[in-house]
Amino acid sequence: MLFSSLLFLFVYLPVTLAVYFLVPARWRNLWLFIVNLVFYGWGEPVYILLMVFSITLNYASGLVIARRREKSRTVLTLCIVLNLALLFFFKYYDFLAENLRLIPFLAFLTPLGLRLPIGISFYTFQAMSYPIDVYRGRVEPQRNYIRFGTFVALFPQLIAGPIVRYRDIAAELSDRRITRASFASGVRRFIQGLGKKVLLANAIGALWDVYKAMDPSALSVADAWLGAVAFTFQIYFDFSGYSDMAIGLGRMLGFEFPENFRYPYLADSITDFWRRWHITLSSWFRDYVYIPLGGNRKGLGRQLLNLLIVWCLTGIWHGASWNYLLWGLYYALLLMLEKAFLLRRLDRGPRWIAHLYALILVVIGWVIFSLEDLGRCAGYLAALFGGGEGLVSSVFLYYLRSFAPTLVILALCATPLPRRIFDRLPEKVRGCASPILMLGCLVLVTAYLVDGSYNPFLYFRF
Amino acid sequence: MKRFTDLTQILAFLLFLALGLVLLIVLPRRTFSQQENRVLAQPPRFRLSDLASGAFTQGVEDCITDQFPLRDSWISLKSRTERALGKTENNNVFFCREDTLITRFSEPEETAAASAVRAVNTLAEGTKARVFLALIPSSAAVWQDRLPAHANTADQEALIRRIYGEAECPAADVLSALTEHRDEEIYYRTDHHWTTLGAYYGYAAAARAMGLTPAPKESFQPVTVTEKFYGTVYSSSGVRWVKPDSISRWVDPEGVTVYRDDGEEPSPVYDEEKLAVKDKYAYFFGGNTPRMVIETGQAGGKLLVLRDSYSDCELPFFFSHYSEIHVLDLRYFRKSVREYAEDNAIDDILINYSLSTFLSDPSVFLLGT
Repeated sequence: MLFSSLLFLFVYLPVTLAVYFLVPARWRNLWLFIVNLVFYGWGEPVYILLMVFSITLNYASGLVIARRREKSRTVLTLCIVLNLALLFFFKYYDFLAENLRLIPFLAFLTPLGLRLPIGISFYTFQAMSYPIDVYRGRVEPQRNYIRFGTFVALFPQLIAGPIVRYRDIAAELSDRRITRASFASGVRRFIQGLGKKVLLANAIGALWDVYKAMDPSALSVADAWLGAVAFTFQIYFDFSGYSDMAIGLGRMLGFEFPENFRYPYLADSITDFWRRWHITLSSWFRDYVYIPLGGNRKGLGRQLLNLLIVWCLTGIWHGASWNYLLWGLYYALLLMLEKAFLLRRLDRGPRWIAHLYALILVVIGWVIFSLEDLGRCAGYLAALFGGGEGLVSSVFLYYLRSFAPTLVILALCATPLPRRIFDRLPEKVRGCASPILMLGCLVLVTAYLVDGSYNPFLYFRF
Repeated sequence: MKRFTDLTQILAFLLFLALGLVLLIVLPRRTFSQQENRVLAQPPRFRLSDLASGAFTQGVEDCITDQFPLRDSWISLKSRTERALGKTENNNVFFCREDTLITRFSEPEETAAASAVRAVNTLAEGTKARVFLALIPSSAAVWQDRLPAHANTADQEALIRRIYGEAECPAADVLSALTEHRDEEIYYRTDHHWTTLGAYYGYAAAARAMGLTPAPKESFQPVTVTEKFYGTVYSSSGVRWVKPDSISRWVDPEGVTVYRDDGEEPSPVYDEEKLAVKDKYAYFFGGNTPRMVIETGQAGGKLLVLRDSYSDCELPFFFSHYSEIHVLDLRYFRKSVREYAEDNAIDDILINYSLSTFLSDPSVFLLGT
């Protein structure tokens, strides 16, 4: 089920909230557990079994590890291997089979064509953090199965993040307080995210879809950049919109999730960009891969190798396809260059150059990310630099004219400016304006969902 | 103040959701949308196999979208918002000058033109009848000056030129005939079809290609039959701010008998009942049907028209030239065209398609069977 659907907004959410607040507090986890499974199994009910297996595996491992702590390395290893094996089987097996069968004596490998269980990359990482943290003595094991299951399958962050670790919400699982202020801030955050997704991301996504379908060798330079910028906006508003919705829903239910985005397009270097983009994923890789590998403590050579490993994994985490791996390597290379010398150079130059540098590289990165067919991808990258046809075209003029107001709104909303202006308003004005803005946003979202010709889910490869 | 704001926000949010839910349950279900001209989804019946395949949950979502309270108003709100944002299109329909809505003509599949022409040529070679091709462009080609500046839509002129170049039968230049009169109301502003006036120019071009002398325009007395026609483009665009079209008929149906399918009872040339429903264009012959035979009561040979719906308002112009007109719609008629022409002693075959159907409908290949 998607947040940005009429079913979620007008059936699932009101029913979930109503029962949640009507039943006694001790029943709330059970209720959440049940509705989580409904939410998860909505598109593919069979995969509920997979979810239950994943919960049970990590729950039991946690208990065993807690009892024997230091001596339980094998159990931990086994648990991680099983977690990753599931992820591998559903997400990467087909990709690997398709490539390996090109080798003559491996030709018997056939892709299975299984549907990828929604959100599997997110919840595998979320669940896996738990046995590791128990092993490291960072958290107490959870003895209550329902509570643990509620954590793993918690619907707000289940399908598109943020990646919430068990220790982030361990306390809230047993005791959470919901105040009028926290619920209201959850509502605001949710609606803000909903608006980002349905009104902003979908609007500009339609433009990217036009360009994505075109033959890249026929694109003018201006067209290629307009398309790439469109996707740059789409992925940000879509993804951060989902995170906002998750954080908002979490607050309505009494959970406080970590932040996932901090105005990433204001970054002044690629290093800075990755501190602002999908923060919970990069910090997950930092804590569970990069640092255990030795991080930067074992000399420059080892640090560069570690970076390479982490960024290959980050790339392939986003989807089982070569372009995602390339996208990861692209960032590995940029980050290494920045570590080696570029960052110091950038610090000395004017700010606007640093911002422009980061933004342009990020836009190019999104082109690699969004085109799975490597031929098209190469063609599109070439078109950005004049490999297509001409500098400008009438197609470009048409779309620039149609989307100009949208682009201006998107650019503004990618900065903290609207927020700052709003906060400057007198208290009274804000008090009256915010319910009106909220309701207006909800009404528009409903209109766009009812006439829902275009409402993609971008993370089905994640 | 803060506490009050929080409370109003929470209440506004929860009431909005709850109101949606309650109305969704309480309001009576609609089966058909006049505005959109389509059947609306109903609650699916629960079956275990459907649940496993995902068909059930999809059915529930479709039903909620289609049955959502005040559906038509939401759709209208969306298109108005799009316009306010400076967009000049919604759901692939351009908002054009002179209250006109025009659907984008998408670039066809690479191989579509070649394989469709091959089917035409196979028919032309295989039959003793004379074969003619007439391709009707959409308003996006003829009314270019009404489109928003730089609107991107495929080059229909180039497509037609290419197809005619490869076709091994005489072809009618409908595009030029229409373009010559582009200042007149030759297409509906809210529907994808041409008007009867447009169809007259199309008929004249086809008749010339077939070696007939087209009847002069002055010989007809147009009669307006409705002024409240909102067509298919109106439906798909979501646009609700344009004025309706009117439909007129030019040819007197006196003495003409029509048999639809294999019916014994004659059916009308002009189906007055259709003026009461949404799809008023079906006024001409009552809409799509696999096969139709028209006895014109005039002297002359036999014509076979391979049609899509653009033909309907054009057919009456051919009454005076033929004694019998057979009309086949290959989307529904699944027998050999060549054999049909032989069995019915057809003299002339007119392949009369809109360019869009010709390039995108799989049934076009059946021409060659």
